[in-house]
Amino acid sequence: MFKVTTEPLSIDEAYAAVRRDDCGAVALFIGTVRDHHDGKKVTKISYSAFKEMAVKEFAAIAAEAQSRWKVGAVYIAHRTGALRIGDASVVIAVSAAHRAEAFDACRHAIEALKKMAPIWKEEFYETGKAWISG
Amino acid sequence: MKIAVQLFGPLAEQAGVSRLEVSMSGSTLQDVLAALAVASPTLKIDRSVRFAVNTDYAAPSAPVKEGDVVSLIPPVGGG
Repeated sequence: MFKVTTEPLSIDEAYAAVRRDDCGAVALFIGTVRDHHDGKKVTKISYSAFKEMAVKEFAAIAAEAQSRWKVGAVYIAHRTGALRIGDASVVIAVSAAHRAEAFDACRHAIEALKKMAPIWKEEFYETGKAWISG
Repeated sequence: MKIAVQLFGPLAEQAGVSRLEVSMSGSTLQDVLAALAVASPTLKIDRSVRFAVNTDYAAPSAPVKEGDVVSLIPPVGGG
C-alpha cells in the first residue's frame, strides 16, 4: 500500500490495491516528469529519499485522510533514482463510497506528501542542475 | 555518546558525505546540532532544515540517546 521504489510505478497495482466492492469511486493521481521548469528544458530528474521515514509518512498521510474523510483504502508509491521525461514519479489512489471523498482525500494526500515526505528532487538541464523543493 | 547523523539531498552534496558520526555530551537534538557544527563547520543548517530522530520529525528540544540516528531534512521535493 505504501512504498518507495526504484522500479517503474504501476497504475494497475494502485487500482487493484484500493478497489473495493463497497466503494463506488477511485481517485487516481499520477505525478509525471515534466520537460520544462522556469523556462528551462529539463533533460532528466533524479529523486532520492529517506526511504523508511518516507514510507512511515505515507502511512501517516493515509491515516489522516481516513480520519478526515470516509474513504475505503489509500495507496501511495513514489519512485526514486534517475527518471526520464514522462515517467511517473508518484502514484496515489484513494477509494471511497462516493467521488467527493475520493477526490478530496486524494488531493489532500498529494499536498501532504509534497510538504512532509523526506524525498528530494534534483533537476538536470541542458546546462547545469538544481535541487527543487515545494 | 556517539550519534549517527544522516544527510540528504543538497546537504549530503554540500558535505560530500551522507552519513557521519558525532561525539557529544548533551542529551538533546540541539546538542547533536552543536556538535555537528564543530565536526562539519562548512555545513549550512539554516531555518529551512528540519530534523528527525530515527524516523520521526523532531524539534531541537527532543531527547536523543545512544543508538539513535539523527537526520537532517533539507526542503523536500517529492511528488
